[in-house]
Amino acid sequence: MQRYILRRLLQGALLLFIVALVVFTLARVSGNPIDLLVREDATAEDRAHLQKALGLDRPMHEQLYIFLTGAVRGDLGQSIRYRRSAAEVFFERLPNTLKLLPLAMAGALAIAIPLGVLAAVYRGTLVDRLAGGLAVLGIATPQFWLGIVLIYVFSIQLGVLPSARMGGPSHYVLPAVTLGVFLLAGMMRLVRSSLLEVMGSEFVKLARLKGLSQTIVIWKHCLRNALIPVVTLFGVYFALLVTGAIVTETVFAWPGVGRLTYEAVIFRDYPLLQAVILLKAVIVLSVNLVVDILYAYLDPRVRYA
Amino acid sequence: MNIRIFLNLMLGGFLAVGGAPAAHAADKDTLVIALDTLGAQVMDPIMDTRAPHAHYHAPVWDSLVGFDLEKGGIGPGVAERWEVAADGKSWTFYLRKGLRFHNGDPVTARDVKFSLERKMSPESIASGAAALRRAVDRIEVVDDLTVRVHTKGVIPYFAASLSRAVFMEGSVMPKKYIETVGAKGFREKPIGSGPWKFVRSVPGDRIEYEAVDYPHWRGTPQFKRLTLLLVPEQSTRLAMVRTGEATIGSIGPEAIKEARVGGMKIVSVPGTMQAVYQFWGLYRPEAKGSPLADVRVREALSLAIDRQQIVDHVMGKQAQWPMPFATFRYSSDMSIPRWDDWARTALRYDPARARQLLAEAGHGGGFKLTFWNTALPGTPFMVQIGEAVAGFWEKIGVKVEVKTTEWGAFDPMTRGEQKALVGTASMYRTAGRPEPAPRYIGSFNSKGVQHLLGDPQNCPAICQDADRAYEAVVSERDDAKRAAAANRMIELVAKSWIAVPIIEGMGYWAVNPKGVGFFKPIPGRHEFGDVTERMPRPEQRPWP
Repeated sequence: MQRYILRRLLQGALLLFIVALVVFTLARVSGNPIDLLVREDATAEDRAHLQKALGLDRPMHEQLYIFLTGAVRGDLGQSIRYRRSAAEVFFERLPNTLKLLPLAMAGALAIAIPLGVLAAVYRGTLVDRLAGGLAVLGIATPQFWLGIVLIYVFSIQLGVLPSARMGGPSHYVLPAVTLGVFLLAGMMRLVRSSLLEVMGSEFVKLARLKGLSQTIVIWKHCLRNALIPVVTLFGVYFALLVTGAIVTETVFAWPGVGRLTYEAVIFRDYPLLQAVILLKAVIVLSVNLVVDILYAYLDPRVRYA
Repeated sequence: MNIRIFLNLMLGGFLAVGGAPAAHAADKDTLVIALDTLGAQVMDPIMDTRAPHAHYHAPVWDSLVGFDLEKGGIGPGVAERWEVAADGKSWTFYLRKGLRFHNGDPVTARDVKFSLERKMSPESIASGAAALRRAVDRIEVVDDLTVRVHTKGVIPYFAASLSRAVFMEGSVMPKKYIETVGAKGFREKPIGSGPWKFVRSVPGDRIEYEAVDYPHWRGTPQFKRLTLLLVPEQSTRLAMVRTGEATIGSIGPEAIKEARVGGMKIVSVPGTMQAVYQFWGLYRPEAKGSPLADVRVREALSLAIDRQQIVDHVMGKQAQWPMPFATFRYSSDMSIPRWDDWARTALRYDPARARQLLAEAGHGGGFKLTFWNTALPGTPFMVQIGEAVAGFWEKIGVKVEVKTTEWGAFDPMTRGEQKALVGTASMYRTAGRPEPAPRYIGSFNSKGVQHLLGDPQNCPAICQDADRAYEAVVSERDDAKRAAAANRMIELVAKSWIAVPIIEGMGYWAVNPKGVGFFKPIPGRHEFGDVTERMPRPEQRPWP
């Protein structure tokens, strides 16, 4: 077991190294941040001074060495835009995203499970088709557009919810719904297909032969088994949304890490972009590692595979 | 039960977050401005490089040289007046009496000296720091309220460079306080002498201020608090202004109609920028055969453009007829009526004359033209203007190859030898600033960044004339003679048709008239950092 954990840790470290190299290279392909920092009539001298002040005058290999050795020590450099530690800026914004996600995910789950069950139980009926249509709509609706429509209806027309920004509980509704609709669609489809698979199992037939009611069979026996892949997907979505709630956070002026990523790209803030992507990779890898270790603990076959 | 209370109660159970139930509309004592950017959001005048600092630094820090609030351009600031020495190499600034920082310390000449030196220090990345380093020889404290800056040569526009009408180089910072708390302490708890005191900055979200509790020379705020919100999405900003969550929101010209329909008022700030197109590298040997090398062709391309159509339809009637390149109706050192008249005639729409000029130049059948359509940061509507310009050129037979390019990809091509741009046209912009000369050196001087008329290796007659014209302007100490020299410089460029104004753009704001009374912006200064203190409450001055 210890050898397995050690091997997974080493694999994780290697992956982080590769991520660091890729993000370092790709960030620099997008252009020079100096272009966005100086005024349009800046002289070569103005540019050179700023380049030196920001440490961008050093050769590329030297910048990479500084970045990698710094990362090992936990120093991910200074944000060009904010002139502060890039990691500090990331961790300042992370709680804002983490506050939004549970609500979006809980809401999505609360609707996706019953809807998925109904679609599976009434397979081929109008209910199934309606649920399927809803899923397609949820996946196909651009979050950006949905967010603006929700603002228009609930903030401008009805005046019952605030348009944007973090604040009291009501500020969470529209961004959580916008994020949740996207999650709901995928989860509902998965619950339905997973449940259909389980409903055809031998143990379900046995339960029915024993004379158990439909409600008990579906909700107690089938759903428990059908939810295993949903829980896995839930974990994947969580990691995805920590890193990918960019559109929702931009529309609703939510100061989370999704918007921070967008800002880092737009302002070509190399150190911040590097830090954000690397730290997100650490989060995703850590979650995966914990899951893998748990699997290995629960199922010895994984350890020896 | 009220639906709002119900929602709050219901959600309150789910969320492990603090905060009172949302009061959606801002309270009446708080002026809330929703902005598309808060720049670096660093509360230190030496640590931000671009215009957004005029939003969020200006409330806290006064500038040594201020604004002419009515006309635009420069006016009194912390310095009530200033004078230049007979030899033109030193500037004496006389400070206002009785100014104080937010901690009660008086504002003195020592603070001004300290501030300018801090702006020029190696750790400063302020936009004009390099220019200040090039200009300033030494700074002398004459007495408590008099400071003298010795420059490295004759720099007629030195005072303007210390005004927020141009950039932020003149911000006056508290010497004693910064020396006591250090730079880090200053950034965390900044103080200045402006009409608003810093309260807190929440990164990526907002900056809060509160009004000083004494009369302020810039104007005593009518609101108790000021909050600047970062709301990147324009539709969201509009919604917030409409619902009263924000009092004022920055918008682009494309949102003006929607804002009006929603009952909002529009405040347009005149003369914040000029959209231009310009031709690159026509002096170079490889551009010799280009139709663009003929001045008649270049004039024809200007006559082909219906600027009024662009003002009316692209800019939603919220733009003005332009003056010559990089000049505005508030510019100093030039004859405004003369150039206003010139612009209305020379920049007219006359497609028949345009075709005639093309035919005279031997290009009656048209020619191919590569046109880089790009938008500088903060003015995305330039791309729509560029599309309209290309359309007008097509109408007189020019086959325009439009290359729409992101600014980050275009800007590097404008430096050095500009090989990719030789013989092509592009969109460009000039920012609103009081004097044209500093912009002319960047664009037309042979040693300038853009050197549109020639470089030191290839400097034809017009390039040499431009170099001489610029020198004549900046070396002249007599105001009248300098204005005459500036007129010659402007004329030279105007008649070259190499950099041609399209429209004079404005800064646009949507305002909720229930949240703030009628106010006037400062011409040429898009940002409201120097306006908030004079904004009345709605009942004090209702909107017409």
